[in-house]
Amino acid sequence: MKIGVVGGGAFAWALAHAVRRTGSEVLMWSRRPQREAGAGISLVALPALAAAELIFFAVPSPVLPELARELGQHLDGGHYLVHVSRGIVGDGLMTLSQVLRSVTPCRRVGALAGPLVAAALESGAPGGGVIASRFPEVHAAVREAIGGKRLRIYSSEDVIGAEFASTAVGLLAMAVGYVQGIGLGPATLAVMASRGMAECTRIGVQLGGRVETFAGLAGHGDLLAAVAGDGRPELAVGRELAAGTLLADIRRQGGAYVEGIESARRIAAYAQRTGARAPLVSMCADVFDRKIGSAEVVELLMSRAVGGE
Amino acid sequence: MLAAPMRSLMFRLLSQPLRLPAFLGPAPRPDDPQIFRFNSERGTIISDVVRRVAQHYAGQPDRLLYLLNEAGNAEVRRLASQGDLEASDALGAWRRLIKRVGKMSEEERRAELREIVARMTGDIAGNFDVRVYGLATKIIPGLLTAIMSPGDLPRQLLSGFRALDERIIAEGPIDKLRRLAKVGTLVLVPTHSSNLDSVALGYVLMREQLPPVVYGAGKNLFSNPLLSFFMHNLGAYRVDRRISAQLYKETLKTYSCMMIERGYHSLFFPGGTRSRSGLVERRLKLGLAGTGVEAFARNQARGISRPVYFVPATLNYALVLEAETLIDDHLKGAGQSRYIIDDDESGQAERWFRFFTKLSQLRSAMVLRFGEPLDPFCNPIDDEGRSLSPSGRTVDPASYVKFRGVATVDAARDAGYTRELGDAIAREYQRSTVILWTQLVAHILYRQLVAQTPELDLFGRQRVRGATMPRSQLEAEVGEARDRLLAFAAAGLVHVGPVLQSQSPEKIVAEALTAWSGYHTRPAASAKGGDIVIEDPNLLLFYQNRLVPFAEELATPETLTAARTIAALGGRT
Repeated sequence: MKIGVVGGGAFAWALAHAVRRTGSEVLMWSRRPQREAGAGISLVALPALAAAELIFFAVPSPVLPELARELGQHLDGGHYLVHVSRGIVGDGLMTLSQVLRSVTPCRRVGALAGPLVAAALESGAPGGGVIASRFPEVHAAVREAIGGKRLRIYSSEDVIGAEFASTAVGLLAMAVGYVQGIGLGPATLAVMASRGMAECTRIGVQLGGRVETFAGLAGHGDLLAAVAGDGRPELAVGRELAAGTLLADIRRQGGAYVEGIESARRIAAYAQRTGARAPLVSMCADVFDRKIGSAEVVELLMSRAVGGE
Repeated sequence: MLAAPMRSLMFRLLSQPLRLPAFLGPAPRPDDPQIFRFNSERGTIISDVVRRVAQHYAGQPDRLLYLLNEAGNAEVRRLASQGDLEASDALGAWRRLIKRVGKMSEEERRAELREIVARMTGDIAGNFDVRVYGLATKIIPGLLTAIMSPGDLPRQLLSGFRALDERIIAEGPIDKLRRLAKVGTLVLVPTHSSNLDSVALGYVLMREQLPPVVYGAGKNLFSNPLLSFFMHNLGAYRVDRRISAQLYKETLKTYSCMMIERGYHSLFFPGGTRSRSGLVERRLKLGLAGTGVEAFARNQARGISRPVYFVPATLNYALVLEAETLIDDHLKGAGQSRYIIDDDESGQAERWFRFFTKLSQLRSAMVLRFGEPLDPFCNPIDDEGRSLSPSGRTVDPASYVKFRGVATVDAARDAGYTRELGDAIAREYQRSTVILWTQLVAHILYRQLVAQTPELDLFGRQRVRGATMPRSQLEAEVGEARDRLLAFAAAGLVHVGPVLQSQSPEKIVAEALTAWSGYHTRPAASAKGGDIVIEDPNLLLFYQNRLVPFAEELATPETLTAARTIAALGGRT
């Protein structure tokens, strides 16, 4: 069986290796391939990915719509598209599965969420993730492509919930890194993580997600893995920000963090526009944009009126 | 008092709709819609439904036993609480089934299943009589005209019922739908506001030379012998919402699926019931309409490539016949439990008369707008009936039901497509909504009421009587909101009815006040000196609810807070 992978970053390569372990062949497209193709992994032109039934998108959210549109010219209703992004696009917080559905003729789409990181996925360390799709054949295809004895792939029908939970974890992991970086203790970190997740859950439910998804592997489970130190880039970026490194300098080091910053801005703007309560996410947006510094963060975190949880 | 067997016979006669003798009817022509052939296929359809349901349970003895038990118990519960003639006729048989089913052999259970499904399908299946259809096309415009303005009938006969055409407007890609009806099967999925919907739709289909459709009508509508005669002979099938047995629902689904498979154009109200709140439905489960997806897949798996086209449509009324009961029901939160309202305005002849009299005085009282047709996989359709991808390329709809190159029937997959389609139809409803003048005036008045009562919640606000708004302010805000609506319409976000398009704000307000006075028990609002007095906040809420999705965009900085409260009434998309 052939599996397509769009992207050439660390996560795309990790997926390719996970696919190889199950014995399938990988067709990979990358704008600037940084590695050599190996046994069973061929680097191909974008249209050639249409030969695969299942295609993973492992690219940052800003470039996904255009790539999907271009690839979509060569696809039909028989293809399954699954993205691994932690981003959302547009003012209305559009998730990437919604983008995939609107720019390609494919309907059987899904999102891979949960505590999957590039290094562990590539090396085959035991772990787990969630494939969220309305279509059981997409669950089965992803399980067949990368699942196995060492990688437990749970299925969910709550696509928006899983995508939004994944986005929330991306930005909260940065916030946790920042809180750690400015020297605050575990209790503050827990307040940040759990109350931040509560805000994101509220908005996620408004968007059509289910509460349980945020409490599961795609939400709290994923955040737990990040805090426990699974080498998440978002955490490192948070710490760098706390140390005063400029965003432009961090940006030169890698791509994953961009999602968290943009997500915080978008969610904060959405909350303000719709009257949803999201003070911690708004604070994160201000911190990432350097509108406030560490002293104000402590003040803001601790001086907020305390109510029922 | 009739003896029991006689009563039972009478019940059977009355519950079986009247049909004309079959042998006198003309034979259908080759280019006639499939429904013209229904009577000759009826028996085959019923036996096919029985065979498919039976096949579904073949090899699943445990499920079959459960299904029969569940059906028996559900029917005994229902009939015992009904306690009517139907109960005395059928209760015994169901009780005997419950007693015996545990001891039956598997073969006997299968025979029992076939017998029950045959009985249920016989009750569901309608009839189509070309002669009744011909009669209906001739008399319905006259009937509607006669009700709406009796004195006008002779003149209307001569002019070909132009006045009716002016009052009931049909918009949308009608030419395209006529073409699509020839190459594929149409599944009409309109919004549902009133018991008048199916009549209005039927009339518009006739007038616009679109083919007749089959649809499932609540069994309660068949209790009127005249209505029953027409509905039954025009292809309506009977849906008894009181029956909760899983087997009945499955039979109904199989019947509806088979009709679409065989190319019968169909109509479903995917919202399920009439919108209690007046809101345009935003979340759709599709229910029976979802069988259109399965029908397409089943045909593909058999090598039949006939396309299925879903056609969203909105029915937009300046006045809604049952508005008072519907909104009252919504506010009581009783919408779900009172699934079948049988004591609303539509059961009162006098209210119908007042309603039609009122309608006859209004211009463009009702706008039926057909939306853009979709294939079962949410793709738009070109003029030739081909599915289009987002880039405008044609895409093969069969690819969506294929697994490794072979078309398959897969209930779980089709459930996924059905949910996607529900979302897509709800989006199309939004775009195809036609805002009418009564709704806009209600919205501006209601926004004022909300602004005046910031401390009250919804229920508190609905109890406020006599709030006022200066007429000049109302007219100014209506004018401003109308201009914004026209801009949204130009951007393709919504549609705007003729009165709003052409009249001055003063005239719009005046026409709304006229429309409300005289039909409803109490007008939504009325004029008193230079003020407009809010008389019935419930009615106002009902009519303004159509504008909920646009509330924030229509607001000025001063009215934004109130508009947000209104926007929250619709929940988030």
